Amino acid sequence: MDAAIEISGLHAAYDKADVLIDVSLTVAPGTITCLLGSNGAGKTTLIRAILGLTPPRAGSVKVFGAEVTGEATHRVIARGVACIPEGRRMFPKLTVAENLRLGAYQEPSEAEIKRRLAEVYDTFPRLAERRNQLAGTMSGGEQAMVSIGRGLMGKPRLLIVDEPSLGLSPLYVKENFRIIEGIRARGITVFLVEQNVHQTLAIADAGYVLSGGRVVAGGTAAELKSNAEFHAAYFG
Amino acid sequence: MDLFGQYVVNGLMLGTVYALVAVGFTLFFGVLDVIKFSHGDVLMVGAFTGFTAASGAAALGFSHPLAQLAATVVFALAGTAALGAAIARWLILPLKSAPRLNILLATLMLGTALRESVRLFYPDGSNPKAFPALLPTSSWQWGQFTLRADSSILVVTGVLVIVGLHLLINRTRLGLAIRAVAQDEETARTMGINYTLIVLVTFALGSSIAAVAGVMNGLYYNEINFGMGLLLGLIGFSAAIIGGLGNLYGAILGGFLFAALQMIGAVAMPFASAYKDVFAFAVVIALMAWKPTGLIPERASDRV
Repeated sequence: MDAAIEISGLHAAYDKADVLIDVSLTVAPGTITCLLGSNGAGKTTLIRAILGLTPPRAGSVKVFGAEVTGEATHRVIARGVACIPEGRRMFPKLTVAENLRLGAYQEPSEAEIKRRLAEVYDTFPRLAERRNQLAGTMSGGEQAMVSIGRGLMGKPRLLIVDEPSLGLSPLYVKENFRIIEGIRARGITVFLVEQNVHQTLAIADAGYVLSGGRVVAGGTAAELKSNAEFHAAYFG
Repeated sequence: MDLFGQYVVNGLMLGTVYALVAVGFTLFFGVLDVIKFSHGDVLMVGAFTGFTAASGAAALGFSHPLAQLAATVVFALAGTAALGAAIARWLILPLKSAPRLNILLATLMLGTALRESVRLFYPDGSNPKAFPALLPTSSWQWGQFTLRADSSILVVTGVLVIVGLHLLINRTRLGLAIRAVAQDEETARTMGINYTLIVLVTFALGSSIAAVAGVMNGLYYNEINFGMGLLLGLIGFSAAIIGGLGNLYGAILGGFLFAALQMIGAVAMPFASAYKDVFAFAVVIALMAWKPTGLIPERASDRV
């Protein structure tokens, strides 16, 4: 079975500053694989490179065995990828229901979209109550629900989650991690990008540590917990 | 009373035309944050395309006005849609990361190029063309007030186009994608929206709506000329600005408001009616000073 994500020798740069240097990593299907790293380590750039938002300078990105390097974002999404972006990135002037529908933008069947909407409302009853409210007027925690629901609306095989706990209260953070575990249980591969080391490693199967644009450690979650390099990168 | 009624009909007609031009500015600004100054000249190209199609249909022996009208509408809409998409694809998207002023200037120059090309290359292009009267010329009489069938058809058509656009933007998948791109391009891409396609479709849509305005204008005045887009473009842009750029309903309101100002300037002011544009633009300047972000500023619910 092909890896959900296979990155090899990836370089990315903005103007002259190198952001990613020779990054290689693999996300095995059916796992939660995490990418840990502090601010400015290049985590978001890596996601942008996978999604085709920032074309890399060199290297290759494969999604489910297919080369996607340099592909337009909507084509990458069409391969069964969805992303819950950093900061939730609601469409603030669209309703909750419209935000969710955009998650299923590539699904042509209205019946299927309705079925998925019902599923999301079932998971987050609060969103059902607020379906006609503008997303921009919701609280941070509610927006997190919309963002997760929107990611699931595409019925992805691979879900990329960028810093889901950023800016949320501890209660919501805990809830988010529980939901991400639930997503894996549904057979969806999760690539989880986080700064929150302990809670992330508690649910992840494997992971990588990014520091200064390089992968400095990688392995199973258990290995990472005891890895000296990892501690050096993180706690310096 | 008789005269007042005529002015109201005339004002509604002009308001519809201006609103149709203004929504284009607002759509383009919505999806790409750009001002496309060639919009009025695209309208003019639409009117000339329609005129050519009508003449061509007549030359091919389609003598029925409805057949000529159909040819006019189809070719004007298709031609400007293609022109609008081409401008987006080869002029505006390549300049997307350039300063906004460069795009404004580039489209201003393109507008001049279009205008001059029609003047120089269209047969006898420097002279006004007599646009054929393709609509029924009957009229209804109520006492002193005469309502012409052609004006009524034009106003109703324009209003239907506006309602249709409203439904397209708010009720369809394409409209949802346009609104998503307008709010957050990158997240829209991440949802799987083909960004480039949506931009091209939006420019095609806005341009063909301008062609409707150009053809309406030709049918109403029975005359078109190579410079007609200059003033119509400026008025449409002003209407979009006073309504609140980026807001569809503001643009429509702005269009009707501008027409009302012209009518007030022509009828109710103590100076000659030739000063109506001076009056209308002076009020627009005052309005902009009073409400710099427009009468309906971009609010939570309503960007494009």
